[in-house]
Amino acid sequence: MTGLRRARLQRRPLGLLALLLFLISVPAWAPNRFWINVASQALIFAIFAMSLDLLLGYGGMPSFGHAAFFAAGAYACALWALHRSPDLLPLLLVGLAAGAGLALIGALALRARGIFFLMLTLAFAQMVWSVLSNNQLAGTLGGDIGLIGVPRPVLPYVPAVNLFQAANFYFLTLVVAVAVYLALAAIVASPFGRTLEGIRENEGRMQSLGTFTFRYRLAAFVIAGALAGLAGMLSASFNFSATPASAFWTTSGLAMIAVIVGGSRSLLGPAVGAMLVVVLQLGLSSLPTPGLAEHWQLLLGAVFVAFVLFLPGGLHGLVRGRAA
Amino acid sequence: MLNGLAFGGLIFLLAAGLSVIFGLMDVLNLAHGSFYMLGAYVGLTVLSLTNNFWLALIAAPIALAIIGASVEVVLFRRIYQRGHLMQVLLTFGLTLVIVDLIRWRFGPQTHSLPTPPGLDGAVHILGVPFASYKLFVIVFATVVAAALVIVWRRSRVGAILRAGVADREMLGLLGIDLSRVFTATFAFGAALAGLAGVVVGPYLSVYPGMDESILVLVLVVVVVGGLGSIEGAILGSLLVGLANAIGPLVLGGFEAASIFAVMAVVLLVRPRGLLGLRQ
Amino acid sequence: MNISTASVTVRFGAVAALQDVSLEIPSGERRALIGPNGAGKTTLFDVITGARRPTSGRILLAGADVTPLSTWRRARLGLARTFQRSALFPTLTTAENLALAVRARMQTGWRIWPSRMERTVAMEVSSRLRAAGLAALAQRRAWTLAHGEQRALEIELALASQPRLLLLDEPMAGLSGEERQAAVARLRSLPPHVTLVLVEHDLDVVFAVAQRISVLDHGVLIADGTPAEIRADHRVQEVYLGRAD
Repeated sequence: MTGLRRARLQRRPLGLLALLLFLISVPAWAPNRFWINVASQALIFAIFAMSLDLLLGYGGMPSFGHAAFFAAGAYACALWALHRSPDLLPLLLVGLAAGAGLALIGALALRARGIFFLMLTLAFAQMVWSVLSNNQLAGTLGGDIGLIGVPRPVLPYVPAVNLFQAANFYFLTLVVAVAVYLALAAIVASPFGRTLEGIRENEGRMQSLGTFTFRYRLAAFVIAGALAGLAGMLSASFNFSATPASAFWTTSGLAMIAVIVGGSRSLLGPAVGAMLVVVLQLGLSSLPTPGLAEHWQLLLGAVFVAFVLFLPGGLHGLVRGRAA
Repeated sequence: MLNGLAFGGLIFLLAAGLSVIFGLMDVLNLAHGSFYMLGAYVGLTVLSLTNNFWLALIAAPIALAIIGASVEVVLFRRIYQRGHLMQVLLTFGLTLVIVDLIRWRFGPQTHSLPTPPGLDGAVHILGVPFASYKLFVIVFATVVAAALVIVWRRSRVGAILRAGVADREMLGLLGIDLSRVFTATFAFGAALAGLAGVVVGPYLSVYPGMDESILVLVLVVVVVGGLGSIEGAILGSLLVGLANAIGPLVLGGFEAASIFAVMAVVLLVRPRGLLGLRQ
Repeated sequence: MNISTASVTVRFGAVAALQDVSLEIPSGERRALIGPNGAGKTTLFDVITGARRPTSGRILLAGADVTPLSTWRRARLGLARTFQRSALFPTLTTAENLALAVRARMQTGWRIWPSRMERTVAMEVSSRLRAAGLAALAQRRAWTLAHGEQRALEIELALASQPRLLLLDEPMAGLSGEERQAAVARLRSLPPHVTLVLVEHDLDVVFAVAQRISVLDHGVLIADGTPAEIRADHRVQEVYLGRAD
């Protein structure tokens, strides 16, 4: 055989298992609740970054507006939990649907490629941000404060397991993150994922081979939007709030940093990159030394610039020994 | 209306630099907002030392030209081959670094530059009082715009730049040293941003984060006006400035959303912008 | 599949890249398209495949007007092409390059779950790798292949769509004598009903392969006939053969 189906799962089971065990063990050795919460946020951001990797790494679509779908999931779930019910399962669906739904609108940007796609997605996300932060709509969307007092979700069948507990919520995010990773790993290894990569490499050639490429780009855009919405849902539940800042372009930029630092086109790389970004951000701000504490952006920016200049393959590239 | 013009003038100072940098070098410089912020803080420093606004207005662009040139030489030159995305991300990394450096040095609080003496009064236009500083901003931006258009259209330097925007390879064929043109363009764009930073001081507030809020608006102007077109930047700035001033009355708070909607429509219908040069 | 172009004109601003080009190529014919550089040969291919819209004129595939159809729809009608500069999927492996073409033909690229079709795809890919002489390079990334190997893959990608009409844009350019023979043999193995249109500068190949030859100069079709007729045509000798000597 020609070795076409090298499923990514089979290629590095040990590293994956180690990472999974490490993540499962976090609540056991984390010094206090604060660090469990940092870990939860790290996983939420990892889901977001993995969804962006599908677009950016595999699809070659540099979306600078991915935060819009994250915010869509966050707001939709905040509204749902506030006005309907905090049951977990419908909330997960609402998050997915909100991200996917907004992505269907944002898909107008798919008409463009490259830098123009980047700017269109940026404009689209800023449009979403300006609607969310609009104080004229404060009655429904909370204006520039956002929606606050969002309840934590309630687990089906076992409502006694309290998601207000940091460790319990952490395990919820871990389960979702693992599910998202498995789903994306299956997608990128499937014929669909391969075709998406072919489109990234040479869209014109895919078309002259008879592929209606728009359909694939749209599907990738919507899947990525849905998973970003799922991350947004977790974020709204975790923070008890949904804020317009989550749709701002700097949020999209941070996710891009996570993907590039981790190494695009590897799913795990962006996930690890995202965790590093969050741990750096929250970890530094928790330090008692005032000097470093406030300057996570400086450190992050400098690390990032160094990665762009010297390690374009990201951490993943470093590990796999193909930094160039 | 005049408020809109003043804001439009300010936006223009930023958009002109961003547009020419993009048009010529294909670099979408997200750090342009940071240059603007740096300009404001250089102005702040000079003002606090000398108490002379005009000195600040000269010092900031010079400082920023030096910073811009160094950034181009030290960072960008390495990654021109690496494609748009890496360049954009590099500039995004720079914005994070710069905003934090500013916060470190000057603190997170909001500053404001004192209005220069002589411009702190108000002028009555058709019976309506109007801050004379805003009038100054309008006049200043108009003069800069006129000067830029003249240089752009009539001088040898302008011809070289326009040729470069239309077809970068042609510059090489003409025997012009591309890397020097790039450095100079980057420095000049940064200087304009620095100028805008000082001009804005007495009018809007100066704080870490002022870069983020204005950058996207400037981007809209550049895209709507046409990448690499000075006239496009003027047109776009006027549109955005006026939309910002009139919008709240007409659109009831949705002016920001509508500005981005306009950008999206322009990108979809005319990707080169209203007055874009590139074929 | 037969192809015809009806008064196709393409203008870039004031310049006409193609002017009133009407071609008629019956099913199964081996046709060569020659002419000096810049004569409009590649532009004609672009118009036939749908990569470029004609300013005026129509394209007919198997008698049906396909002028408004997009590239991928025309490809599904059985139209395939190779590119003058290899258009591969550079960071994917040789095998994956071919698999993309096979899946595109079978229209199974849409599937998210691995299916039994993938086994069929893999089998076809390995037989094509062998036929193209690329079996040893299956796991190499396309951009690391040598020029001749890239050209072989370029042709095999087009063949993997099992076309009924195949447009070849200078497939032999830069190939060594041996590689040329292999490529010619691979093309000879095509079933006789496949229509072949070949743009080629090597006149030996042209006269050996083509049943008829069309000559373009400055976007105008100046001659159309059997190899013997083309050899005898004064105008062709002037604009093309004269220069080639």
